[in-house]
Amino acid sequence: MSEHTGRSHKAQMVLERYQKKLSRQVVGSLVACVHCGNCTDSCHYVLANPGDPTYAPAYKADRIRKLFKKHFDWTGKVFPWWVKAGDVMTDEDLEELKDTVFGKCTNCRRCTFNCPMGVDLATFNRMARCLLVSVGIMPEGVAVVSKDQWEIGNQMGVLKEDYLDTLDWMSEEVSEELDDPAAVIPVDKMDAEIVYTINPREVKYDPRTIADALKIFHAAGENWTMPSEGWDMTNFGLFSGDDDLGGVVARRVYDKVIDLRGKKLVISECGHGYRSTRCEGPNWAKFDIPFEMESSVDTMLRYIREGRIKVDKTKNPDKVTFHDSCNNARSCGLTEPPRELLELVCMDFQEMYPNREDNYCCTGGGGAMSMSEYTPRRLKSAKIKADQLKATGAKTVVTSCHNCVDGLADCIRHYKLGMGVTQLVTLVANALVWDEMPAAPGKPEIPEGVPAEMEPEVALDPDPEEASASEEPPLAGKRIVVADDDPDQVIYLKSVLSDAGAEIIEAADGDETLEACRKELPDMLTLDLEMPGTPTKDVFARLRDELPELRICIVTGRPELRALIYDQDLRRPEGYLDKPITEESLLRNVRKVLETS
Amino acid sequence: MDLHTIQIIHYVALAVMMVVYAIRILWFLSFPAGRERQPPTGTGSVNSKAGIIYSWLNVASPKGMESYRTHWFLYLQFVVFHLGVVAAITMSFVIADFSILMNNAAVVLTFRVLIWGACAVGVMRIIRRFTDKYVRAISSPDDYFSVILLTVWFGVAAAAAPFGVPSLQAEGSTLLIIYFAVQTFFLLYVPFSKISHYLYYPFTRYYLGKSLGRRGVFPLKHTAGQPTTAGADR
Ligand code: SF4
Ligand code: SF4
Repeated sequence: MSEHTGRSHKAQMVLERYQKKLSRQVVGSLVACVHCGNCTDSCHYVLANPGDPTYAPAYKADRIRKLFKKHFDWTGKVFPWWVKAGDVMTDEDLEELKDTVFGKCTNCRRCTFNCPMGVDLATFNRMARCLLVSVGIMPEGVAVVSKDQWEIGNQMGVLKEDYLDTLDWMSEEVSEELDDPAAVIPVDKMDAEIVYTINPREVKYDPRTIADALKIFHAAGENWTMPSEGWDMTNFGLFSGDDDLGGVVARRVYDKVIDLRGKKLVISECGHGYRSTRCEGPNWAKFDIPFEMESSVDTMLRYIREGRIKVDKTKNPDKVTFHDSCNNARSCGLTEPPRELLELVCMDFQEMYPNREDNYCCTGGGGAMSMSEYTPRRLKSAKIKADQLKATGAKTVVTSCHNCVDGLADCIRHYKLGMGVTQLVTLVANALVWDEMPAAPGKPEIPEGVPAEMEPEVALDPDPEEASASEEPPLAGKRIVVADDDPDQVIYLKSVLSDAGAEIIEAADGDETLEACRKELPDMLTLDLEMPGTPTKDVFARLRDELPELRICIVTGRPELRALIYDQDLRRPEGYLDKPITEESLLRNVRKVLETS
Repeated sequence: MDLHTIQIIHYVALAVMMVVYAIRILWFLSFPAGRERQPPTGTGSVNSKAGIIYSWLNVASPKGMESYRTHWFLYLQFVVFHLGVVAAITMSFVIADFSILMNNAAVVLTFRVLIWGACAVGVMRIIRRFTDKYVRAISSPDDYFSVILLTVWFGVAAAAAPFGVPSLQAEGSTLLIIYFAVQTFFLLYVPFSKISHYLYYPFTRYYLGKSLGRRGVFPLKHTAGQPTTAGADR
């Protein structure tokens, strides 16, 4: 507590730092609001919570603005009550502010585009996040992810060896599939035309997108490479508001491109990654970029236009719709290239309304997917997105953003829409025409002129009915302990894994898990982080000690609890999955974990 | 107090307002403007300059904003209200220095229509501010006072307009004095209230347009014919 002001230490620090964050752009937005209310129903939170004005953009903005008025603006200094100027005195006040800036706004910028004054709430909401983060007040998930990005270099804590291992794995799969030993990912190749950077989610949950990109670069005959370091183009600094983190993370990527003497940095499909690396990163890092940067969407479109790859849209016959990521559409202007690409690689593209810069957030933006304490609120606000998706009548929604893939998948599951989510890279790879290329192993040869079924996102593995009867299920002979106290989750994991041939042993708490593993000596354990009985961190430690051969995959809906496991001085788990889990990512990850010894 | 004296006071108030505005702008400019280092995305017509111009003119193009496309009556109110402000201010200078123009009946009629229209919108805005749950939640005493002050000012100005004609000024001197007195108070109050938003408008929209123009977001694609809302392309 400060003796002079009566404020808590943290509240005092927030105010002192507030002044330092005031740029002309931010001050303009803080002083210009006329409280007209025009922006109110542009926000998905408002639409999903009718009658609750605390979700209105201007109301939320005023939680931050009142401090500015009280401490920096003259009328507010003299007559605070007249302009509703206000203060923060205690840590509880800061917690309340945290609830607004992290829990009630995804920084989607939709209200900005609907404000006649050009008030950019998302920008100063980000600033407020930064102030709170600087005094340690933030959702746990934000702390965990920021720590991973500071310390490990990527926001999902993927170790370098795991990343390189995944690139090897994808290289093997693709070169085998194409029967072409040259179809591999070149790592750290000097003087490449393109240095390709990705989202760590691709390594962890969706390596198929890396394989798809490999196919496209290979088909185009591109001189490309992926860096062994500085490969994560995502940047949690955008979400936490921490410009220092943003600058360091962006610089890691830029420096590696310079080290490799790359000509162009290509950023895989990720809205916040593209915005952070392409647009904000140079400002945060205070660095003028000496090379070109583009989204992989532009790259793929260019290849088709230049005739470097050939595509056959009949390979993607199903009706698809497109979701514009907020960062791509409202902060980077990337609205037309994805549509042009969709028209080229899909038979039936149905626009979603509203779209482009008027589109609604997937509701997982602004780092919301990592803030599990706000999940119920997020899913409630996703009703707006669900209605939009449903109205399209499409089977699949395409998006150029990994964060949106997760946000949309959650929305689709919650509102039982029965749609798939995929990305352009997958559709383009699927539509590739490989002249004189033999049919890929494991896939039926497609006779010319006969449209093949589009490969849905949620069914990576061959359809069981299509697979030959003699083919063994992929997990045949494997014994897996599924440890989770949520019976629905156990049923889900059990049905997917046993369908794939595994024998499942169930455990509902820490003690049962220990007992089942000791008695059954399984090949693998899927471990929920929050169970009754012996705490999970102790279960993990004991099993590492007693059964060093056991492969463990963490399965959790609370990523912030990861630290319980990862902060121990023990060998890390072989796998990690965030709930909710798709069938596809579960099977892929379990297979990968079982392959790792 | 006679009409001439209040007109002089009114000019003093105007000068005070200008000085306070100048200080206000200097204060605003004392904050650093972040340097934009990102390489431009756009080519040709898509650049910072096009973005700034689009951003400034955005308010004149309701189709560029969903909030106005879907609430066209609010947009109409916005236009009428601001035209009324311009008319009421202009009329004070015309009466004070170019009153001969008021001999033209069309001029007086134009002022009266614009200002009564704005006054009617002012009443609607007051009702909205008191009754709309969302607007009430964001309103401060300044917001209520400002809209009431402007509406009263419009009412007085519209009522005084017919007496702006030189030959009728003596007859309507009380109304004219009230009009100038309210406007004097208005000019002194404005720099300390949200009414001064128009001072910031060029800056806020400049910086937004500069950044979004450089990124190829502004000018918005749909204003160039791309439909973003359902039905627009059917
Ligand atoms: S930025 Fe998006 S989520 Fe935040 S208040 Fe504005 S519209 Fe709502
Ligand atoms: S539209 Fe703009 S000026 Fe009006 S309340 Fe919203 S932020 Fe404020």
